[in-house]
Amino acid sequence: MSSPIEKLFATILKQGALLIALIAAAGGLIGYLVASTNGLVSALIGAAMAFVFVSMTALSVLFGGKLSLGGFFGVVLGGWIVKLLGFIALVATLRGADFIVGPVLFGSVVVSILGSLALDAVAFTKARIPTFEPK
Amino acid sequence: MDVNNIAELSGNIAVVGYGLAAIGPGIGVGLVVSKTIESIARQPELASKLQVTMWLGIAFTEALALIGLATPFIFV
Repeated sequence: MSSPIEKLFATILKQGALLIALIAAAGGLIGYLVASTNGLVSALIGAAMAFVFVSMTALSVLFGGKLSLGGFFGVVLGGWIVKLLGFIALVATLRGADFIVGPVLFGSVVVSILGSLALDAVAFTKARIPTFEPK
Repeated sequence: MDVNNIAELSGNIAVVGYGLAAIGPGIGVGLVVSKTIESIARQPELASKLQVTMWLGIAFTEALALIGLATPFIFV
Protein backbone atom coordinates (compact mmCIF):
# COMPACT_ATOMS: atom_id res chain seq x y z
CA MET A 1 0.00 0.00 0.00
CA SER A 2 1.34 3.42 -0.86
CA SER A 3 1.96 5.94 1.89
CA PRO A 4 0.02 9.26 2.13
CA ILE A 5 3.12 11.11 0.88
CA GLU A 6 3.35 8.88 -2.20
CA LYS A 7 -0.38 9.42 -2.79
CA LEU A 8 0.12 13.22 -2.53
CA PHE A 9 2.95 13.22 -5.07
CA ALA A 10 1.04 10.90 -7.41
CA THR A 11 -1.92 13.32 -7.28
CA ILE A 12 0.36 16.31 -7.85
CA LEU A 13 2.08 14.70 -10.84
CA LYS A 14 -1.21 13.56 -12.39
CA GLN A 15 -2.98 16.89 -11.91
CA GLY A 16 0.13 18.80 -13.04
CA ALA A 17 0.34 16.74 -16.25
CA LEU A 18 -3.35 17.37 -16.94
CA LEU A 19 -3.08 21.12 -16.29
CA ILE A 20 0.03 21.51 -18.44
CA ALA A 21 -1.62 19.49 -21.23
CA LEU A 22 -4.53 21.96 -21.12
CA ILE A 23 -2.11 24.91 -21.11
CA ALA A 24 -0.20 23.35 -24.03
CA ALA A 25 -3.47 23.00 -25.99
CA ALA A 26 -4.60 26.57 -25.27
CA GLY A 27 -1.09 27.99 -25.74
CA GLY A 28 -0.68 26.01 -28.95
CA LEU A 29 -3.90 27.49 -30.31
CA ILE A 30 -2.85 31.03 -29.36
CA GLY A 31 0.66 30.43 -30.71
CA TYR A 32 -0.79 29.10 -33.97
CA LEU A 33 -3.00 32.18 -34.34
CA VAL A 34 -0.08 34.51 -33.54
CA ALA A 35 2.76 32.88 -35.49
CA SER A 36 1.34 29.82 -37.33
CA THR A 37 3.21 26.51 -36.96
CA ASN A 38 6.28 28.04 -35.27
CA GLY A 39 4.03 29.51 -32.58
CA LEU A 40 2.34 26.15 -32.04
CA VAL A 41 5.68 24.35 -31.73
CA SER A 42 7.03 27.02 -29.35
CA ALA A 43 4.01 26.76 -27.04
CA LEU A 44 4.28 22.96 -26.93
CA ILE A 45 8.03 23.07 -26.23
CA GLY A 46 7.48 25.66 -23.47
CA ALA A 47 4.79 23.57 -21.76
CA ALA A 48 6.91 20.41 -22.05
CA MET A 49 9.96 22.19 -20.57
CA ALA A 50 7.88 23.48 -17.65
CA PHE A 51 6.41 20.03 -16.98
CA VAL A 52 9.76 18.25 -17.00
CA PHE A 53 11.44 20.78 -14.72
CA VAL A 54 8.54 21.19 -12.28
CA SER A 55 7.86 17.46 -11.95
CA MET A 56 11.57 16.71 -11.43
CA THR A 57 11.46 18.47 -8.05
CA ALA A 58 8.45 16.45 -6.92
CA LEU A 59 10.06 13.20 -8.12
CA SER A 60 13.35 14.01 -6.38
CA VAL A 61 11.53 14.59 -3.06
CA LEU A 62 9.46 11.42 -3.56
CA PHE A 63 12.45 9.16 -4.30
CA GLY A 64 14.82 10.97 -1.96
CA GLY A 65 12.34 10.44 0.89
CA LYS A 66 13.07 6.72 0.74
CA LEU A 67 16.77 7.31 1.42
CA SER A 68 18.59 8.39 4.56
CA LEU A 69 18.56 12.08 5.49
CA GLY A 70 21.91 12.73 3.78
CA GLY A 71 20.73 10.85 0.70
CA PHE A 72 17.52 12.86 0.66
CA PHE A 73 19.27 16.22 0.61
CA GLY A 74 21.85 14.92 -1.87
CA VAL A 75 19.12 13.83 -4.31
CA VAL A 76 16.99 16.98 -3.89
CA LEU A 77 19.83 19.52 -4.06
CA GLY A 78 21.90 17.59 -6.61
CA GLY A 79 18.78 17.24 -8.74
CA TRP A 80 18.21 20.99 -8.41
CA ILE A 81 21.67 21.84 -9.75
CA VAL A 82 21.44 19.31 -12.60
CA LYS A 83 18.01 20.66 -13.45
CA LEU A 84 19.13 24.29 -13.58
CA LEU A 85 22.20 23.42 -15.68
CA GLY A 86 19.97 21.43 -18.02
CA PHE A 87 17.55 24.34 -18.24
CA ILE A 88 20.37 26.79 -19.08
CA ALA A 89 21.73 24.40 -21.74
CA LEU A 90 18.25 23.96 -23.24
CA VAL A 91 17.63 27.73 -23.32
CA ALA A 92 21.04 28.31 -24.97
CA THR A 93 20.26 25.62 -27.57
CA LEU A 94 16.73 26.75 -28.39
CA ARG A 95 17.41 30.48 -28.28
CA GLY A 96 18.82 30.80 -31.79
CA ALA A 97 16.54 28.20 -33.41
CA ASP A 98 14.46 29.35 -36.39
CA PHE A 99 11.28 27.58 -35.28
CA ILE A 100 11.15 29.30 -31.86
CA VAL A 101 8.85 32.26 -31.26
CA GLY A 102 10.35 33.68 -28.06
CA PRO A 103 7.35 35.43 -26.46
CA VAL A 104 5.05 32.43 -27.09
CA LEU A 105 7.55 29.99 -25.53
CA PHE A 106 8.18 32.31 -22.58
CA GLY A 107 4.44 32.82 -21.99
CA SER A 108 3.85 29.09 -22.14
CA VAL A 109 6.66 28.38 -19.63
CA VAL A 110 5.48 31.07 -17.19
CA VAL A 111 1.79 30.13 -17.29
CA SER A 112 2.63 26.42 -16.88
CA ILE A 113 4.94 27.06 -13.92
CA LEU A 114 2.51 29.39 -12.14
CA GLY A 115 -0.43 27.07 -12.85
CA SER A 116 1.33 24.00 -11.51
CA LEU A 117 2.51 25.96 -8.45
CA ALA A 118 -1.08 26.91 -7.65
CA LEU A 119 -2.12 23.29 -8.12
CA ASP A 120 0.73 22.06 -5.87
CA ALA A 121 -0.23 24.52 -3.13
CA VAL A 122 -3.89 23.43 -3.21
CA ALA A 123 -3.00 19.71 -3.25
CA PHE A 124 -0.57 20.23 -0.38
CA THR A 125 -3.03 22.11 1.83
CA LYS A 126 -5.71 19.45 1.21
CA ALA A 127 -3.36 16.52 1.86
CA ARG A 128 -3.48 14.68 5.17
CA ILE A 129 0.08 13.77 6.05
CA PRO A 130 0.44 11.82 9.30
CA THR A 131 3.02 13.03 11.78
CA PHE A 132 4.08 9.50 12.51
CA GLU A 133 4.16 6.65 10.00
CA PRO A 134 4.37 3.11 11.35
CA LYS A 135 6.84 0.96 9.39
CA MET B 1 43.59 59.90 -22.45
CA ASP B 2 39.89 60.50 -22.80
CA VAL B 3 38.59 61.18 -19.26
CA ASN B 4 35.03 60.33 -20.25
CA ASN B 5 36.00 56.75 -21.00
CA ILE B 6 38.27 55.52 -18.20
CA ALA B 7 37.06 51.91 -18.20
CA GLU B 8 35.23 50.01 -20.87
CA LEU B 9 33.30 46.78 -20.69
CA SER B 10 32.09 44.78 -23.61
CA GLY B 11 29.53 42.01 -23.74
CA ASN B 12 25.85 41.55 -23.07
CA ILE B 13 24.39 43.02 -19.87
CA ALA B 14 21.69 40.31 -20.00
CA VAL B 15 24.30 37.84 -18.71
CA VAL B 16 24.25 39.71 -15.38
CA GLY B 17 20.50 39.20 -15.33
CA TYR B 18 20.85 35.43 -15.78
CA GLY B 19 23.34 35.38 -12.92
CA LEU B 20 20.91 37.24 -10.68
CA ALA B 21 18.14 34.84 -11.74
CA ALA B 22 20.25 31.95 -10.44
CA ILE B 23 21.75 33.51 -7.30
CA GLY B 24 18.47 34.73 -5.73
CA PRO B 25 16.65 31.40 -5.81
CA GLY B 26 19.95 29.70 -4.90
CA ILE B 27 20.03 31.63 -1.63
CA GLY B 28 16.31 30.99 -1.16
CA VAL B 29 16.62 27.23 -1.59
CA GLY B 30 19.65 27.23 0.71
CA LEU B 31 17.62 28.93 3.44
CA VAL B 32 14.67 26.55 3.01
CA VAL B 33 16.94 23.51 3.23
CA SER B 34 18.99 24.81 6.16
CA LYS B 35 15.85 25.52 8.19
CA THR B 36 14.48 22.07 7.33
CA ILE B 37 17.69 20.39 8.51
CA GLU B 38 17.55 22.44 11.71
CA SER B 39 13.92 21.47 12.29
CA ILE B 40 14.59 17.77 11.63
CA ALA B 41 17.50 17.91 14.09
CA ARG B 42 15.15 19.33 16.70
CA GLN B 43 12.27 16.97 15.99
CA PRO B 44 13.37 13.93 13.94
CA GLU B 45 9.92 12.33 14.19
CA LEU B 46 8.51 15.16 12.02
CA ALA B 47 11.00 14.48 9.20
CA SER B 48 8.52 13.24 6.59
CA LYS B 49 6.14 16.15 7.19
CA LEU B 50 8.98 18.67 7.07
CA GLN B 51 10.41 17.18 3.86
CA VAL B 52 7.09 17.60 2.06
CA THR B 53 6.71 21.15 3.37
CA MET B 54 10.26 21.86 2.22
CA TRP B 55 9.35 20.67 -1.27
CA LEU B 56 6.59 23.32 -1.50
CA GLY B 57 9.09 26.00 -0.39
CA ILE B 58 11.59 24.86 -3.01
CA ALA B 59 8.90 24.73 -5.71
CA PHE B 60 7.95 28.35 -5.09
CA THR B 61 11.56 29.53 -4.92
CA GLU B 62 12.73 27.70 -8.02
CA ALA B 63 9.80 29.05 -10.05
CA LEU B 64 11.60 32.41 -9.97
CA ALA B 65 14.80 30.78 -11.24
CA LEU B 66 13.02 29.05 -14.11
CA ILE B 67 11.17 32.22 -15.11
CA GLY B 68 14.36 34.29 -14.82
CA LEU B 69 16.35 31.81 -16.91
CA ALA B 70 13.65 31.72 -19.60
CA THR B 71 13.88 35.50 -20.15
CA PRO B 72 16.42 35.19 -23.03
CA PHE B 73 13.39 34.28 -25.14
CA ILE B 74 11.87 37.73 -24.66
CA PHE B 75 14.90 39.96 -23.91
CA VAL B 76 17.29 39.43 -26.79
